[in-house]
Amino acid sequence: MSKPIFEIVDELPKGGLTVTALHTLDFAIPGQWNNLVGFDNTIRAVTGETDESLIQQIGERAVALYNDKSQGYQRALWLYETVESGSGLLGTAALANRIGQDTFLGFLKNITPKPEKAQSIDLCVKLVTELVAFCQINGIPGDSIGDFLAALGDYSGESLMRMAALACFDGVIPLGPEFAGKALNFFDSTSPKELEGNQTYKSVQELIPGNGADAKKGFITQSFDSAKSWMTNFVASNNITQQGLMGKLKGFIDFTDDKADYLGALLDMNVKYYRHTGVQTLARRLVERAVAEI
Amino acid sequence: MIATSPTARKFVLPLVLGLSLVVGSCAEQAPSRYDQVQQETSQKGTTAVAKEAVNGSKLNRYFPKSGSGYSVVPAQEKKGFAEHKLNRGGKTVAVLSINDTISTPTAASKYKQSTKKISGYPTVEQGSTITGVLVGDRFQVKAQSRDASFTPQDRTAWIKKFDLNGLSTLK
Repeated sequence: MSKPIFEIVDELPKGGLTVTALHTLDFAIPGQWNNLVGFDNTIRAVTGETDESLIQQIGERAVALYNDKSQGYQRALWLYETVESGSGLLGTAALANRIGQDTFLGFLKNITPKPEKAQSIDLCVKLVTELVAFCQINGIPGDSIGDFLAALGDYSGESLMRMAALACFDGVIPLGPEFAGKALNFFDSTSPKELEGNQTYKSVQELIPGNGADAKKGFITQSFDSAKSWMTNFVASNNITQQGLMGKLKGFIDFTDDKADYLGALLDMNVKYYRHTGVQTLARRLVERAVAEI
Repeated sequence: MIATSPTARKFVLPLVLGLSLVVGSCAEQAPSRYDQVQQETSQKGTTAVAKEAVNGSKLNRYFPKSGSGYSVVPAQEKKGFAEHKLNRGGKTVAVLSINDTISTPTAASKYKQSTKKISGYPTVEQGSTITGVLVGDRFQVKAQSRDASFTPQDRTAWIKKFDLNGLSTLK
């Protein structure tokens, strides 16, 4: 039996590395994200209702909807959780690669991908995961890039924070200001076989539209290319730079500039922002539906 | 919990890397007000949405159109359910929805106590933000305020803008 949704939402952390790292992005989307945690809190915040018997009814319907696997909510959570554990492994791989360059674990270099390429695949796969999870949660066909792009322009709250973090933590920090074009080029030069060897891709590939790695690669490329201008505009219009972001992260993570390239790997392993904000989005949508249906 | 006080908020890189390898242990869960429903709805074979429920895509056409400074934006479309946001000045002021009560008979039965009508259909208020009507004894149409500026009168006015008669003939 899977973990009850109310426990998952109740257990979201109020602080810690993920929450602190996300708050460093408040400057770009002020007032958008307030780290809403707790199942009943979410019901109160979404609906504005305070009547306990009404909250109970809404919560019960939300629990039932989540438990009905055909409704796609469990699949969306699986995507948010899995893509992150896959990229966490990438973090380990990237770090091992770095260690391989510096010290004694030279052999690891041969079995880990080049960080920039791996980061590029990671970024592209995470973006497409958002698209697929969005479709699962909102009930839109899984290959509907157009619907997703239209919704992206209207993203707010924790969904907007997730996309901001994607652009910053998985884009600008590891790949620099030209991250979107760079990632697309790297991804384009990745062979389907290489893609199949990537942990992040492997973890979620079964839910990416397309038959086989070649078709899935085409879908990821098309999705990323479509969302590229949104990410580029977001970064440019908020004057987001690699230096600026690192300066903010230095507020709570100690690293010296010569170790700056460890930062992407460090964030990968320790900042679980996809799952954290993904659960918040899922809870919000469930509550919205539940209150409408009771 | 890692960061608890301002002085503890400085993390040293190797320490954090080390901590990432530590697996936390699970604590015993306290009883929850949702334990019973969790028990009932997580049994194999139970569903929350009836097979006969209409697809959300069939419900969209009965929603009001954008106008008078309001934009109606599709938000969710699931089996037996469709939801559109009502935005004004870039802000969501209300949520409009239709759901097929074939999956939730108790949602329909509350209208039996109704003494008021909107456009000839029984209506109820839930909590302080929700107005609903039941159309054709099957489809529940709701308007929910998401901003204090959106009054109960506004909710009634927007429910009237749905194609309620059209919806009442949907099978």
